[in-house]
Amino acid sequence: MKDFLIRLVWRIFSGLIMVLAVASLTFFLVRMMPGDPVSAQYNQLIMQGMTPVQAENQVRVMYGFIPDEPLGEQFVHYIWSMLHFDFGQSISYEGIGVSHIILNAAPWTLILVFTGLVASFLIGVLAGVMAAIKRSSPFGTSLTVSGSLLHGIPQFVMGLLLAYLFTTLWPILPFGAPYDSSIDPGFNWPFISSLISHAVLPVVTYALSSYGGWLLTMKSSVITVLGDDFILASEIRGLKSSTRVGYIAHNAILPLFTLFTLSIGFMFGGSVFIENIFDYPGLGNLLVKAIDARDYPLMSGTFLLITIAVIVANIITDFLYSVVDPRIRR
Amino acid sequence: MANVSTAHAEYQQENHKPEMAISARNINVVYATPTGKIPAVRNVNIDLPKGSITGIIGESGSGKSTLIMAIMNAVTKPGKIESGSVILNSKNDLLKLSSEQQRKIRGKEIGFVFQAAQNSLNPLRRVGQQILDLGRSHDVKDLRGLIKYAKELLARLGLDADRVLASYQHELSGGMRQRVGIMFALVLKANIIFLDESTTALDMLSQAAVLEIIRELQKEKNLTIALVSHDIGVVADLSERIEIFYAGEIVEEGKTSKVLSDPGHPYTKGLIQAIPRISGDIDAAEPLKGSSPDFKTYQQPGCLFYDRCPIRTDACRESRPELESIGKDHKVSCFRVGADDRN
Repeated sequence: MKDFLIRLVWRIFSGLIMVLAVASLTFFLVRMMPGDPVSAQYNQLIMQGMTPVQAENQVRVMYGFIPDEPLGEQFVHYIWSMLHFDFGQSISYEGIGVSHIILNAAPWTLILVFTGLVASFLIGVLAGVMAAIKRSSPFGTSLTVSGSLLHGIPQFVMGLLLAYLFTTLWPILPFGAPYDSSIDPGFNWPFISSLISHAVLPVVTYALSSYGGWLLTMKSSVITVLGDDFILASEIRGLKSSTRVGYIAHNAILPLFTLFTLSIGFMFGGSVFIENIFDYPGLGNLLVKAIDARDYPLMSGTFLLITIAVIVANIITDFLYSVVDPRIRR
Repeated sequence: MANVSTAHAEYQQENHKPEMAISARNINVVYATPTGKIPAVRNVNIDLPKGSITGIIGESGSGKSTLIMAIMNAVTKPGKIESGSVILNSKNDLLKLSSEQQRKIRGKEIGFVFQAAQNSLNPLRRVGQQILDLGRSHDVKDLRGLIKYAKELLARLGLDADRVLASYQHELSGGMRQRVGIMFALVLKANIIFLDESTTALDMLSQAAVLEIIRELQKEKNLTIALVSHDIGVVADLSERIEIFYAGEIVEEGKTSKVLSDPGHPYTKGLIQAIPRISGDIDAAEPLKGSSPDFKTYQQPGCLFYDRCPIRTDACRESRPELESIGKDHKVSCFRVGADDRN
């Protein structure tokens, strides 16, 4: 238990160092970009008729540091305000805090990508086991081919195709926007059911276009495990086939477990194409808009969120892995 | 008169034949390879008398492991059993039972200790859990009793039973895993045990200790054991009967003492001569000449041992010898039995 706590503290500490490193890197990247957006902004404000003091204050509010200061001091200011959870203010959404914008966008991405991720993982793992066990039959082969094929279709093509099929050809599902705008958002059934029916298409698009990856990984993992001595041993000891499938599945899913938890981290990057097609105001859309508008505070805020999410997911994976695989326990 | 008395003697012998735990007939196993089918086991008949230890000796790749996998009907791809029957306890043909009936016999009536017994456990489950899995698969009602018996066996095998049951595979040493493998073969009280090179990975001392325990258990529970090995010393020490395997066929069989003291087949002689003695000149041990048979060996019509045989004649290249009786309970497949091999 003491070992566990020491490990936990150490991992959290090293995670924080990593976040800091990435934040610093983002800071210097923004500063070194051609055209220097900070001084460009400053100059633009002066040209708009602001006094240098006003412009300086404005830029300080936006970026969290003053462009005229030496780089070192700017950096200290930036890190200092970051430590106070102040990520500056957006340029394109004038005067609104970056953290506020991100917090508003995050739930949409989570609903969409998380559901899609879980759905594609479940479909992929089950189909992968089937494809591995029945790999010499036409059924197994067609499963594998379906996975690779759908995996190869770009998400936006899949999304547009599904949208055409189910909103135009057979208009059974709503299209665009995360919920019906005539319904008041709140914790009531009409709103929730509207949320769900609007989410069906994007989630299905996500699941269909990404289960192939899980399928192929699971299939090869299962085939590797099938060749292990203990599987033959369990057969010759006369274990029930349900027990044997359990043995196989547990051993085969371990490599996918890591991939899955890391995907949950990367999920915070949003899914640009799907959010765009189905008009979800999620993180992917936000990032695209920020890049479009050269909204640097918003960009670095979003990048920082992705960084933190991946690092946290990494730490959680590390600890959960020792739960699912006794060989990792110490 | 003479004829009548020999017939009578044969009749009596027939009557005293021990009951067979396993009686396999005409087993043929082939491996499909890109160069064609390679016969791994050809027309093998083998009997395991109840309550006896039978040694199966052969060099690597001779098909001895394939034979016992075939007896269990567990030959793995690309291998395939082409024909044969395996009569269990003079009753059912194992190869003709439904897969569910076969599953129930595996483990419950026939225990199996693997060549790679060190890797025969699920790495993600504790040994105790896996014993319970085994018990549940075979509808054992008294699981508490099963665990108790497992502990008893482990203790006899010289292990700390409680520790082992609470351990994962990676927490046990190779020798410990091997013994756990033996426990798994015995825990459901199977009467027939196959040991497939089960002690090969152990050092000499551990091997001797484990074999001693196997001998004890065999006597105590009157087990029928088939001991597959390439170590002629192990087999000589333990088994009552011996089967010499070469290129997928049995070339000599009989009582161990008889076969080893008076070998009939040049291959058996070669095997015995290849054993270095503890006392005396190390060079007196003579390795077998030539190399193991390959797929070309099988394509010619003559004796499979022809290429390596010191007493071959041209006739040996024409046709293949069959197992023939050369004495009481002693069969050899060689045209040149008794010929001097030093010419």
